[in-house]
Amino acid sequence: MLAAAVSYVPYPSWLNPADNTWQLTAATFVGLMSLPGLAVLYASIVPKKWAVNVLGMMFAGFSLVMVIWFLYAYKLGFGANSFGGGVKDGVQTQLTGVGGWTHFIDNFWGKPGPITSPLGEQGQAISAANTSVPFHFPTSTLAYFQFVFAAITPLLFLGSVLGRIKFSAWCLLVPLWSTFVYTVDAFLLWGGGYFAQEGALDYSGGYVIHMSAGVSGFVAAWVLGPRLLRDRKHFLPNNLVMAAVGAGILWLGWNGFNGGDPYYAGADAASAVVNTNLSTAAALLTWVAMDAWLSKEKKPTFLGAVNGMICGLVGITPCAGWVNGQGAIYIGVICSAVVWVAWNFLSKVRPFSKVDDALGVIYTHGIAGFFGGLLLGIFGDPGMLQLGCGHLDPSGQVIATTATEFATAKGTCVPFSVNGLIYTGSAHQLWEQFRAAVFVIIWSALITFILMQLIKLVLRGVRYKDEILEVGDLAIHGEEAFPEEAFASRVGVGVGVGASSSEASGSGSPPDDPVPSGGSGS
Amino acid sequence: MKLVVAVVKPFKLDDVKESLKTLGVHGMTVSEVQGFGRQRGHTEVYRGAEYEVEFVPKVRLEIVVDDTQVDEVTNAVVDAAGTGKIGDGKVWVLPVEDVIRVRTGERGSEAL
Repeated sequence: MLAAAVSYVPYPSWLNPADNTWQLTAATFVGLMSLPGLAVLYASIVPKKWAVNVLGMMFAGFSLVMVIWFLYAYKLGFGANSFGGGVKDGVQTQLTGVGGWTHFIDNFWGKPGPITSPLGEQGQAISAANTSVPFHFPTSTLAYFQFVFAAITPLLFLGSVLGRIKFSAWCLLVPLWSTFVYTVDAFLLWGGGYFAQEGALDYSGGYVIHMSAGVSGFVAAWVLGPRLLRDRKHFLPNNLVMAAVGAGILWLGWNGFNGGDPYYAGADAASAVVNTNLSTAAALLTWVAMDAWLSKEKKPTFLGAVNGMICGLVGITPCAGWVNGQGAIYIGVICSAVVWVAWNFLSKVRPFSKVDDALGVIYTHGIAGFFGGLLLGIFGDPGMLQLGCGHLDPSGQVIATTATEFATAKGTCVPFSVNGLIYTGSAHQLWEQFRAAVFVIIWSALITFILMQLIKLVLRGVRYKDEILEVGDLAIHGEEAFPEEAFASRVGVGVGVGASSSEASGSGSPPDDPVPSGGSGS
Repeated sequence: MKLVVAVVKPFKLDDVKESLKTLGVHGMTVSEVQGFGRQRGHTEVYRGAEYEVEFVPKVRLEIVVDDTQVDEVTNAVVDAAGTGKIGDGKVWVLPVEDVIRVRTGERGSEAL
């Protein structure tokens, strides 16, 4: 088989070491955003009785997505073939029913399958994902890069459901949600599915990740019911310094989040990184200024700055390499201001006042992601990037990386740019963005609701009993985030093991022990 | 005057405080403490090693009240802090010789 022949070549002809290096680096950055970034951020802004529970769910969630991703889920979202046959070998092949329901259904979901074989891991990445050049790295690189995105999404909406969800319910929700919500949204917008073909765009996940996380978290929190009244009244952070560490890793990790999404280590990757930071800085400053001048207390709070930072990061995510630096600043300011207003006022209106979204994920991720996606239709600068027609021939070799080449080899191809309203006067992109947003909101909400009901049925309830919620970490995990050693003494097997300890050494002290055995004695 | 000392479940602090406010109690001192009574402690597990923690976190309240108020204050604390389960805590009462308000120098009941 051809597969075996190419699998162990260190540098296959299609591989570009720079692209591969950057993509793996970017993926690792994004992974660090989850572990430890988000884990530490969330664990620090909850009361100390919940810190271990948050960490446990973060690490378990990350692991669950990793395993299902390589066993079947990657191909659901990014496989070269769609379930309905609209995408084949990474090329869109829809011939009939374009624009209608058939088109939608044929291009709805990828074909599941493992990517754990030598060729599965080391063959050239093939997907109908939009990029201006074909992938110059193996499937493992693309799949791992996409895994860290898939993993952080449920971890983001852990912020909505923490403080009452059962650990077991979480461990069922994460793989089910990744399978039935995430991969569908991802295929539709990224894997060459219906909305991608229609022209909707999402640079790194304003819709697929953030808006979807916000909406899903909100619905899951609604099904779960609120935290204990006492927890809601006393929900103070346990360590703002550690929260700063988590938030900082999140911000700089985003350089990989957005910088990795051109799929090549080129000029647009650099733009994406710069724009991400511009938007974030502007958004952080916007929130701090609004806190200082418009809030009741008139104080610039640090957690407000973190909220503003996240709004900027989320808002620029769907746009990063498709807007220019000026657009990035506008996006940061607008997303931060909109979310600030929503956070302070919308939260008093139904249904927001009735659903206990513990860390407000619906605002900083849901609303910021929604607006960021729409703003792409306004600030998208056609001068930034042209998306092309590259694809692979059946033997895995790259052909046709330009429109002319593609047209000769494969038929028609119209490379396209992102046409924002203010540059082209056309609202078409805005409309495509809006359609995709509406679908992602409805799909995420509906399927999350069904999954939560299902889990409720299977586990006889998705939340812990009140007496467990009163205690938190100790009742659930038997661990505390900050145990007091003076109060705890080891029992059972293992006490006294280790002859180097002076108490256990029995007759006399070891020869190199500087303290005489009869000395301090304590 | 009497000093009412109560050691109660941390979770019940809000209820106790609200109940005392309605009685017109002007102030109290609260501290987080660890202790043990008849309620057993718990075990914690770190890296497979089991640890016994015989001390349980509680909140300790100190309230100085006029002799006439002692009964209603102690009853209020007991009612508000009670869950009927083991570990609800204890309340005890001590005599107080004098109380001085630092700002004004007032003494006795005046200073409460």
